[in-house]
Amino acid sequence: MKKLIFSIFFIFIFIFSFIPQSFAQSSYVLPYPSVMPGGISYKIYNFWQNALKYWYFGNFGQFTYNLKESDRFLVQAKTLFEYKQYLLGFTALQQSNEYFIKINPYLVAAQNEGKDISQKQIILHEAALKHIEVLESLTTIVPKTFLWQPEKVKATNLNIEEVINQSIKIRQSDL
Amino acid sequence: MKQIVYFSYILFLILFAIFSFAFIDPNLFYLKSLYSGIYLKNRELVTGIYISSLIIFFAYYIFFLLDKKNLNLQKVISLIIPSIVILLFAYPAIVSYDIFNYIASSKILFLYKENPYIVMPIDITHEPLLAFMHAANKTALYGFVWIIFTGIPFFLGFYNFVLTLFTFKFFVICFYIVSIYIIWKLSKNISSILLFALNPLVLLQTVVSGHNDIVMMFLVLTSFLAMKNKKIALALFLFMLSIFIKYATIMLLPLFIYFIFSKNKNINWEKVYLWSAGLMFTIFLLSQLREEIYPWYAVWFMPFIFLQNKKWLIILTIALSFGLLLRDVPFMLLGTYFGPTPMLKVIVTISIPLITLIALLAPKIWSKKFYLK
Repeated sequence: MKKLIFSIFFIFIFIFSFIPQSFAQSSYVLPYPSVMPGGISYKIYNFWQNALKYWYFGNFGQFTYNLKESDRFLVQAKTLFEYKQYLLGFTALQQSNEYFIKINPYLVAAQNEGKDISQKQIILHEAALKHIEVLESLTTIVPKTFLWQPEKVKATNLNIEEVINQSIKIRQSDL
Repeated sequence: MKQIVYFSYILFLILFAIFSFAFIDPNLFYLKSLYSGIYLKNRELVTGIYISSLIIFFAYYIFFLLDKKNLNLQKVISLIIPSIVILLFAYPAIVSYDIFNYIASSKILFLYKENPYIVMPIDITHEPLLAFMHAANKTALYGFVWIIFTGIPFFLGFYNFVLTLFTFKFFVICFYIVSIYIIWKLSKNISSILLFALNPLVLLQTVVSGHNDIVMMFLVLTSFLAMKNKKIALALFLFMLSIFIKYATIMLLPLFIYFIFSKNKNINWEKVYLWSAGLMFTIFLLSQLREEIYPWYAVWFMPFIFLQNKKWLIILTIALSFGLLLRDVPFMLLGTYFGPTPMLKVIVTISIPLITLIALLAPKIWSKKFYLK
């Protein structure tokens, strides 16, 4: 009997360890992948997006802008990782993190101005969950580290697992 | 003009201004003491009074137009001033709630320091205007020039809603007054200012409801005046400002290109006004594609029509202005934007100009002259 229980338990663990799992789920909708790095159009697009920072003035405006940019770079990183463009994906994920870190201070500033931030906090929470969901899915398709060896330039060791874990931690701090 | 008509007109304006308060929104807590609930409880009565008021408005308007032999500039002004002073105190949101949107956009920019093209009023969840405004889920619809202009009435309101409501109205009325002056400068014709200034649609949608279309039209009319006076740079600057009030005057761009290419020489201004009226009427009709034709959009083409001497066109425009004001009636009566309301709106808008057109054409159709031609 003991053997049977242990066998069922083992099979159960074995099966579930192979099923792709997502611990975080959110109804938040991420954007479609935008222009990808590698061409002049990307530089123009990035310049335009940077300029938009001034259009999105105000604390709620900056909240929207930074979240939008963080979303954009996260989707970009996901797409690039899926296409095994690890260096570009790595950079995009770092950029997504940079924008995500900026979001909460703007909400705090808005609260200090007397604005009701409860709805924005819900949006940020949902976004963080969705980001974590995407990041967790990435861990199954990317190598832990990758040695980027361009021609005539010193090789770079990309610690992809570390940056993904760090990205998850950043998002978890806003949950 | 008989004194009795003049005083009865003033009395009528006072009564209309009082009647306008029947439309106060139940959630407009700032004016709670003036809320009667009559509009929601007795729609038939309120609609009946509204239609009667429109008929009386047009009756006076036509009387003043027909009595123009006895009218001089001083008398026209003596009619305009009480209209402004009395209707300034009328409640603005009779059926259109745009004035609340203007205040909300202004508040988002100047009070909350946010971009009204990105942040919707509904994003400011503690904002008291949300209780009664009707487009809280929309970012600013108007050009940046308008948004910047609204800083003036907003700050003059000293953060008091009721005062702000009336400073916004007063601000728009100032543009109505200077527009009349520009029409006078362009036409030197008392009929033109009488036709425009006392038209019930212009009075109700500009002086009562405070729609910003008059600001756009003032700027474009002033740019025409500047062009006439050979001040091309100023004219172009004013034209650009006008576009960035509500975008509609972009339709007049071909005319400004024509002014530049013709080096502003030998311009037939009668034709320019006719073309302007045609172009603005086209965008008026095209507004159907965006949302719907609103009565106050008629302010886009009316000044240009009243700057001409084409009698049939003036009569048709007056008829259309009446039809457009009746567009509010189906909603007022039924209390819904759905069901038969859209169809009824079309019927009431078209029927009066159509009947007028038939009346204008009938003598020609039945005359021998017509057959001989």
